[in-house]
Amino acid sequence: MASLRYAFFPGCTLESAASELKTATELTCSALGMKLNEIEGWTCCGAAQVQDVDDFLGVAINARNIALAEQAGYDKILTVCNTCTLMLRTAKKRLDEDAALKEKVNEALAESGLEYKGTCEITHYLWALKDDIGIDNLKAHIRVPLTGLHVANYYGCHILMPPSVMGYENPRNPQSMETIAEALGATNVDFEQRLACCGFHSIYPAEQEALTSNGVSCLTAREAGADCIVTPCPLCHMALDMWQPDSQKKFTEDITMPILHLPQLVGLAMGFSPQELGIDHHIINALPMIKRVLGGWDAS
Amino acid sequence: MNTLLFSIKRFDGKHSWVQDYRLPYATDTLLGCLTKIREQQDPTLNFTSACRHAICGSCAIRVNGSAFLACETQIDDLITTYQSHRFVLEPLAHFKVIRDLVVDFDPVAEKEKNFKPWLIERDDRHDHLQSQSDFHKIAAPADCIMCGMCASECRELNYETGNYPGPFILNKVYRYLRDSRDGAHEERVHVVLDNDLWKCIHCQQCTTKCAKKIPIADEISFMRRQALSMGETNSMGARHAYSFYNDVRKTGKLNETMLALHTEGMYKTLKNRIPFAMRMVVAGKMNPLDMPRPIKGIKDVRKLYEFSQTIQKED
Repeated sequence: MASLRYAFFPGCTLESAASELKTATELTCSALGMKLNEIEGWTCCGAAQVQDVDDFLGVAINARNIALAEQAGYDKILTVCNTCTLMLRTAKKRLDEDAALKEKVNEALAESGLEYKGTCEITHYLWALKDDIGIDNLKAHIRVPLTGLHVANYYGCHILMPPSVMGYENPRNPQSMETIAEALGATNVDFEQRLACCGFHSIYPAEQEALTSNGVSCLTAREAGADCIVTPCPLCHMALDMWQPDSQKKFTEDITMPILHLPQLVGLAMGFSPQELGIDHHIINALPMIKRVLGGWDAS
Repeated sequence: MNTLLFSIKRFDGKHSWVQDYRLPYATDTLLGCLTKIREQQDPTLNFTSACRHAICGSCAIRVNGSAFLACETQIDDLITTYQSHRFVLEPLAHFKVIRDLVVDFDPVAEKEKNFKPWLIERDDRHDHLQSQSDFHKIAAPADCIMCGMCASECRELNYETGNYPGPFILNKVYRYLRDSRDGAHEERVHVVLDNDLWKCIHCQQCTTKCAKKIPIADEISFMRRQALSMGETNSMGARHAYSFYNDVRKTGKLNETMLALHTEGMYKTLKNRIPFAMRMVVAGKMNPLDMPRPIKGIKDVRKLYEFSQTIQKED
């Protein structure tokens, strides 16, 4: 199998509140033969916020991000965040389909000696696992099958929608997360909030609604028999994990639910310890659950 | 498998129950199946439909929790999507249910009147003429057939406790906001601002499920930019968006430590966020002393900001 090279776009959260996701991503990618080279000089993708202030700028900063990867000789950018993926792919689609916009953006980039060509694809860790690594190859790397671990998959919105930009799978009934979890030996549980929204992008103006929604997600995952929720997006992770103590205040029932990043789930099956994967940096302590279900690691 | 099983949520005005109906498999639309059930098995089953051509918008329902226009939905596509021959049919979410799959649009129509979904003509308008480019600005939003699918799917409406009107009302405001013959521009922006415009999560459900592929989430972004250009920058949502905008110009990256402070202000942050910040620091998720340093090439990023200020934009 030819070595897989990616320009890596970590996104802001991997530098701060979700630094454990960067650790888990780099660890598992390296072990799977995916060579990640961080794009030098990348900026925030705009986080579904910048376009509300300046639409052109929202495209331009991502054109610059993509142009940096193209200039470094890459034909594929890998991200591990739903919204980063959407923002980069939105910019790419608009630039590739609108010659006038592309010309204008390139006029702006020319001042920095950059050019957006449109030769670089943008993919997400989840898609790369399924398509570039492949399920059979992934299975060959499993050291600790996640037997007995009941997983509630939580996709998040921006890895699915809008399909005109994302288009990887049907947003009404996606299956990629279930396919990965099953390959790792885990058991998928169906729960009603599988396609819910974590509310992250308006978590300040609509905080109460997000707290309720995320509490319902935790509660329904519990009722469905899940040991943990797994998400491919650090923003969903933050809303579900970091805000979970605040969500709890809205419920009389115990909603406690550990939330794992997808690369952490993959890493556990590949034999990395929870500590190596940064699982000890979550607000909701997932270590007792992992020890109870999978055993073998020191959960102290 | 030769049998289709429809588990339909029934409601007779007082009681709710789920009733199963079976049909032999045949290539058909979802509306065709509902019609067969009513004509051949149960005349008491209520649903609405009229045009059968995705124009009237009256036959929208939920299948397995997701909104579909029954007349344009092929059963074969549902089988492919859900890998099943069993479908749970429910009325649209976020509407009052009258009977079975029939929902009441009247309360929403009443609510919509607060947003003046009609042309308020400009004082200086002398005729009805509109240029082609001006017409194209309203062509997409004017395609709305009021089917209600966007509202049913809207994730903000799931737990909304305030005034947020939902996507199709916002689309209607946008439609008149962009109309070259309309003269109530600022009034329209103020109305949506007063009705929680910044609560939209940008989840993209409305854009994705719209029967007419109207990019409603983009329209909401447009209205937010209009509000900012009118100087309406002192809301939590506006300050939140500016946090990202300003941080990217300053260092290239978001300063998460300062995000709450920029969005909520000092008083609210101190009042509301101390326990949150403490647990973040304890878990190693936040270091208040760690401030992002400017990225390599930050001057180039700032050039993009300067360039963007110089170009003429649609909005």
